[in-house]
Amino acid sequence: MNTDDSSWWPMGDGGDKIEGSQATARQTAELLRSVISQQRVPYTNQAGALIDAVKAIGEQLIAANPVELAVGNIVRRVLHIIREEDLSLTTAAIGGLNLSAVSDDENDDDRDGDSTLSAAAVAAAARSTLRPPSLQTLLEDTPVSAAVPQTSSSGGDSEGKSKSADKSSRSRKLKHDVIEAVNELIQDIVTCHEQIAEQAVEHIHQNEVILTLGSSRTVLEFLFAAKEKKRSFRVFVAEGAPRYQGHLLAKELVARGLQTTLITDSAVFAMISRVNMVIVGAHAVMANGGVIAPVGMNLVALAAQKHAVPFVVLAGSHKLCPLYPHNPEVLLNELRSPSELLDFGEFSDCMDFGSGSGSPLLHVVNPAFDYVPPKLVSLFITDAGGHNPSYMYRLIADYYSADDLVVQRRATAGN
Amino acid sequence: MQFDDQGRVNKSKKRAVFNQPEAKNRVELFRHLPQYEHGSQLTDLESKFLELDSMHPAVYKVGVQYLAGDVTGGNARCIAMLRAFQEVINDYSTPPGKTLVRDLTAKISSYVSFLIECRPLSMSMGNAIRFQKSRIAKLPLTLSETEAKAALCNDIDRFINEKIILADKVIVRHAATKVRDGDVLLTYGSSCVVEMILLYAHELGKQFRVVVVDSRPKHEGQALLRRLLAKGLSCTYTHINAVSYIMHEVTRVFLGASSVLSNGTTYSRVGTACVAMVAHAFRVPVLICCEAYKFHERVQLDSICSNELGDSNDIARVPGRPDVNSMDNRTNEKNLQFLNLMYDATPSEYVSMIITDYGMIPPTSVPVIVREYRREYLLI
Repeated sequence: MNTDDSSWWPMGDGGDKIEGSQATARQTAELLRSVISQQRVPYTNQAGALIDAVKAIGEQLIAANPVELAVGNIVRRVLHIIREEDLSLTTAAIGGLNLSAVSDDENDDDRDGDSTLSAAAVAAAARSTLRPPSLQTLLEDTPVSAAVPQTSSSGGDSEGKSKSADKSSRSRKLKHDVIEAVNELIQDIVTCHEQIAEQAVEHIHQNEVILTLGSSRTVLEFLFAAKEKKRSFRVFVAEGAPRYQGHLLAKELVARGLQTTLITDSAVFAMISRVNMVIVGAHAVMANGGVIAPVGMNLVALAAQKHAVPFVVLAGSHKLCPLYPHNPEVLLNELRSPSELLDFGEFSDCMDFGSGSGSPLLHVVNPAFDYVPPKLVSLFITDAGGHNPSYMYRLIADYYSADDLVVQRRATAGN
Repeated sequence: MQFDDQGRVNKSKKRAVFNQPEAKNRVELFRHLPQYEHGSQLTDLESKFLELDSMHPAVYKVGVQYLAGDVTGGNARCIAMLRAFQEVINDYSTPPGKTLVRDLTAKISSYVSFLIECRPLSMSMGNAIRFQKSRIAKLPLTLSETEAKAALCNDIDRFINEKIILADKVIVRHAATKVRDGDVLLTYGSSCVVEMILLYAHELGKQFRVVVVDSRPKHEGQALLRRLLAKGLSCTYTHINAVSYIMHEVTRVFLGASSVLSNGTTYSRVGTACVAMVAHAFRVPVLICCEAYKFHERVQLDSICSNELGDSNDIARVPGRPDVNSMDNRTNEKNLQFLNLMYDATPSEYVSMIITDYGMIPPTSVPVIVREYRREYLLI
């Protein structure tokens, strides 16, 4: 299906790119949900058709803005959801097949009587159990076979017919299940701030001094939640040049009655010896536990390590990316306009291209992101709880499938 | 510097030449340091010009220059102050019934306290004043007034020449040997010695490029950038948050210092510690360029016990960003404070080498120089 993606692309303005991870993730999920609901699925291998459709759209979305990793994350989450739902329905069907092969008198759900199953069904069951169990399949009970139509229980011959009959009813069920799961995903994205903020009380005690850099909505909600629970603490906010988001955060904190001191980024090392904890937000969390964060964060993390101050990163699970950061300064960074640093009018006389090689003498570097290696991070607080950086790879196995790391449609039809 | 002691504060207010309103909304950690509202100080001082008959005009001029920020940097401030003292000594005549030594020392002390009101002394200035007073005290009593004045002016000239100007030349010669072809040199803010090093190395024909790192609120690096570009050096300009991004291409870091303390800590412009820390994390050598007269026998562990606080409005207002400045009216909120530190202390483990006029030394040798060469002040 051909949809005009550019009209749906939410990242029109350049101003909100960095803080828009949550909004971007939600809109991507909603877009994919409508793609799935409008996709026609054939009788056989409809999971494959859905996956193809999502991959086609996802490829374009990711290519439009490779630096906004939340987009790729949501595309991979949806693909994983499709695979999981397909797997659980297949397991249910096999379980139902199991029951229909047994005599009608028995109504129990005992699936161990597999002596009458055909070899193909056994192979299918074995294939499905070879995969490591994910939380989704562990948590949901294998559905009762009531939904599976009871066909004649003669065994091998009718197996093919029952399978196709299962699949036709399963096709509608698959789409339905997938859309339900995507709705849950959207709900998780929207409520991630509340879930993270609930954990605030466990980490902030009385008379604490907290340092943060720039502005992050997650951090704001986190600190508000601690204030609600009557913890008194002070906040040092580093202004976060050249976007100066720290000023906005300080304004919000003061409006809620928190003692706030605004400092320049150059004073971070000077002040961090008197700070108890550093709490920051992230743009993305990579598979090795490294963090892509607004520029200046590596400075804060190094200073915190030197003074043995815990460095806590708050991130919703939609920011967890299954990729490893190879050369993150170049590949996962974007360079912004030099006019944020230098006034072009004042320095226009220095942009003289007359020197020998034809290149100007003056280069201005204004990166938007910084990479913080995992050894500098003390704790990640996500909506699924608090984790060590060394645990992040395990969360990836829960949320993503290994087949989806490279979102590209394959040239051959079917998977 | 005991600003939290109310008795001392009241005493110094009585002696003050012009009144300075204290800042509201002070940061608790820094209550021992003076912090004033900067808006009205300069106009107040200028209006007092005709009333200050006890003040020598040269000293008054230097004081106004400090307050307005026209003269910045350890060397420049020290030279300006010493030249003003030269004029004071030239114009001085001993009043009847008083000795030259005592009277002149008292006058110098009063001028120094005026300068402190305008802007707290840097350590280099403190050392120079101590040198000056010791020279006055060591004057032989047999000298006539004109001879004594000539001797003192001569001493000041020698101090400036040997300790500052020639010292800078020696430092530049030493440091230029550390610059190789193909180097990428990083510097922070604007230090006159580092600028001289870069220009000298460029004149020698070495091929290198410079990274100038700058920060708010003063943006001192822009002036340095302009002067380097005028001489034809290839420069990259960035702000201090991007230091981690740019550090992987840097080969050497050259930093200036306001002073080096006896435990090896470097006391310099705020942000120097951040740059040195990142350089250390990336295994890039950090070279501090500092004249020996700036060494001090004090020790300091952090940047909070002794510092200078600047104008908090510089932090609150971001020039050219009206969306951020909408919080300007918030400066009177009691929950919100702005902290404008001027200096910070870089631990000695981040510094690879200090280049002084006595040679290139490790940070651990600083107390040795302070102790052994202090006698030189007296011998000259």
